[in-house]
Amino acid sequence: MTAILIATFLTASVEWVEAYTIILAVALSIGWGRALQAAGAALLALAVLTGAGSFLLTRIHDLAILQFVIGVFLTLFGVRWLGKAVARGAGLKKLHDEDAEFAALQARADIQDARAAWFIAFNGMLLEGLEVWLIVVALGVQTHHTVAAACAALLALAAVAAAGMMLRKPLARVPENAIKFTVSAAVLSFGSYWILESLGYVWPLGDATLLALFVFYLLGGLALIRLNNYRLNAAKVV
Amino acid sequence: MQGFIKTLFGDKRTLAVTALSVLVAVAVLHSPASLAVGMVLPLCLLAGAAYLARH
Repeated sequence: MTAILIATFLTASVEWVEAYTIILAVALSIGWGRALQAAGAALLALAVLTGAGSFLLTRIHDLAILQFVIGVFLTLFGVRWLGKAVARGAGLKKLHDEDAEFAALQARADIQDARAAWFIAFNGMLLEGLEVWLIVVALGVQTHHTVAAACAALLALAAVAAAGMMLRKPLARVPENAIKFTVSAAVLSFGSYWILESLGYVWPLGDATLLALFVFYLLGGLALIRLNNYRLNAAKVV
Repeated sequence: MQGFIKTLFGDKRTLAVTALSVLVAVAVLHSPASLAVGMVLPLCLLAGAAYLARH
């Protein structure tokens, strides 16, 4: 339960930080009132999606099928985030830069148009929130803690909003890549654990295997970062 | 809608990596080396993440 809440909180923190950058850029153009209205509408849409997603998944009465479906979705999410985090950690890809993102948004011509800016804020919040939605629904339904997972995501939102209100600038110092790396290892652990369990495999250590898998993905990811970094530096020398 | 589908399934490479990893795991699970599947799936996924990082 604690692992699920921490994974949800961290995933949500990263996504809300990115969403905050978009809302801030829009707020400086059309005002905080309308920007927050767009963000609120997107949050409402996400709440409806969470309800609908949970309802659909709880219709699956066969535990093995439910575990397999959720395991596959978590694995798709986790392997994508781990790949990105390794690429960024090794320098194969630029780190996500909230300041640059903010500057690019402010340079957009359509952000001065009230209607277009409203939709930029709405779409931004919705798209960033979809990954939070996936984690809340997938981890929550499987463990029967959807409400607690949703609360962890809302707590992350409150923390980002509070930090944003204090600073009134993009939250560029949040270590997004380190958080994404850790979350991807945790999500992949749950994903691979449930996929194999649904296929009839009995994990030798039971639930304690989750911790072993988490350590495996963390250490494996770190090894990949070092290997890619070494290759990149070797290529520069040649 | 596009963002929704991308969030759920990722891109073609992510789908291919996950599908291949699960297929390999199923094959190993139905082989005499079925006990090794607990290592095979995580290794396949880690290799997949390495591939995704470079592409």
